[in-house]
Amino acid sequence: MRAFLRHAFVALLVFAVALPFLWMAYAAFLPPELVNSGEITRFGFSLANFGALAPEGFWWRLLYSLAVSGLATLLALASGLPAAYALRDGAPLLGLVLFLLAVPAEMLLVPLYGVLNSTRLLGGPWALILPFAASPFVIFLLYQGLRAVPWEIIEAARIDGAGERLILQKILLPVMMPHLVTAGVLSFAAHWNLVLYPRVMTTEPWWTLQVWMADLVRKYPSDWGLLSAAALLGTLPLALVYLLFERKIIETFEGSLKG
Amino acid sequence: MRLRAKPSWLGLAPALLVMAVFGLYPFVEVVRFSAWKWSGLSAPQAVGLANYRELLSDPAFWRSLRVTLEFAVITLPSFIALSLLVAVALEGQRYERWVKGLLFLPGLVTLSAAAVSWYTLLSPEYGALQTLLYTLIPENSPLAGWLVVPSWDREPFWALLLVVAFTLWRYLGYGVLVVSASLKAIPRSLLEAAWVDGATPRQAWRFVTLPLLRPAITFLLVVGTILSLQSYVAVFLLTRGGPFGGTRVLGYFIYEVGFERYRLGYAAAATIVLLLLTLGLAYAQARWMEER
Repeated sequence: MRAFLRHAFVALLVFAVALPFLWMAYAAFLPPELVNSGEITRFGFSLANFGALAPEGFWWRLLYSLAVSGLATLLALASGLPAAYALRDGAPLLGLVLFLLAVPAEMLLVPLYGVLNSTRLLGGPWALILPFAASPFVIFLLYQGLRAVPWEIIEAARIDGAGERLILQKILLPVMMPHLVTAGVLSFAAHWNLVLYPRVMTTEPWWTLQVWMADLVRKYPSDWGLLSAAALLGTLPLALVYLLFERKIIETFEGSLKG
Repeated sequence: MRLRAKPSWLGLAPALLVMAVFGLYPFVEVVRFSAWKWSGLSAPQAVGLANYRELLSDPAFWRSLRVTLEFAVITLPSFIALSLLVAVALEGQRYERWVKGLLFLPGLVTLSAAAVSWYTLLSPEYGALQTLLYTLIPENSPLAGWLVVPSWDREPFWALLLVVAFTLWRYLGYGVLVVSASLKAIPRSLLEAAWVDGATPRQAWRFVTLPLLRPAITFLLVVGTILSLQSYVAVFLLTRGGPFGGTRVLGYFIYEVGFERYRLGYAAAATIVLLLLTLGLAYAQARWMEER
């Protein structure tokens, strides 16, 4: 009986969590006329919604968002590994990183607006990239990973005359690959999911897919097929990357929580 | 002990530069801005503490503060309870890894796409779920009166619950991972010792497992407080603060005042209140849990 209740609970949970995804995938293929007449339970299949996305500028937004979030993530990883290495080697700034971890960018919209304004970054795509070129979250995750690396190896490499750059590239980069992938996917997702930040900091031509989609809902609130097609295609890249690395991400993330 | 700088510390420089400009300096700026009357475009005008004085007598601000606390009070306990429950239910099951993978997905996928799906699925009266329920259940059956999607477009209470549900949906995966990680760190011998001593499963849970999970719960409580006080993107996407300001949490209040009514100085003052509230509560909780 206990076992049955347990399985039933998990099944219910899985259903509830998956429902929005299932509905999204179903509605994206609904013929527009069925949505208009409210007959969404009748079976129909159509690709019309996907065709209607192009005139709204979907594909350009998708590519642009992938580029912006990708670049920000690469920079965060490139600045994060040496920073985590310095912290692991005793630099006394871990507290600062933890403090900044607690205050995300969307909380500081007002002052960041001022900072970007005075650095002349406001309005353009660099406003979405430069502030995220270093991420406390990435640094922390990589630092947790480095704690598991026996430091005698590093000391030995130094005695053998290896420079810091060589140590980072030849020893730590390969060892830290799982953590880099995890930190990369998670911080890509975090950047990808910014909504109000890009809306406020950039002008309309530089809005990301997120802002564009939130706007689409306001424009066509009852065109469920179109909205769902945009939602499905906008979700797919991230979902695929996640599924590809899912095992690694869950394991690495769980491992870094233990320390 | 004297600290001696090492060459490796130089690696911090790029990250530190970025974080100083875009992470720390804003804290200075927000204090400066809060003493301004400023639309973002016009030249700022110094007004001293006028923004704070106005904040204290602004009913919309107090309402929003109350909504924020209500949101946190509903979200936090359910988040922690669900995380514990799900982590325990999944522990050691064959499907554990798959379900965890699925639970993590909502936190990663495109946020506004998820909101689109929720919005069309759960719209009152003509939403997809309601349509489905109407089709499955004959209108004159006694069940029909109960299986109605609450009208969260008109009732603030249900709107707030919708935002809570969306937030839980997004972050449950993280919570489960945190509990699960520390559940796995409990040595099996401890539980076996409890069973040998005649403890019932319930006693073993209450006196062995739960105390060992305390660090994980503290962590969730602190992170959850920060998250629940700061999350307002869901509000923007689902309800835009409505109906009647019933979901206008402080974060959204700040966004509205600053970037829809262009009163950045006033919004800066509200930001300071929110920052103090967040840091103060998180600190108090961490202390309280440590003492017990």
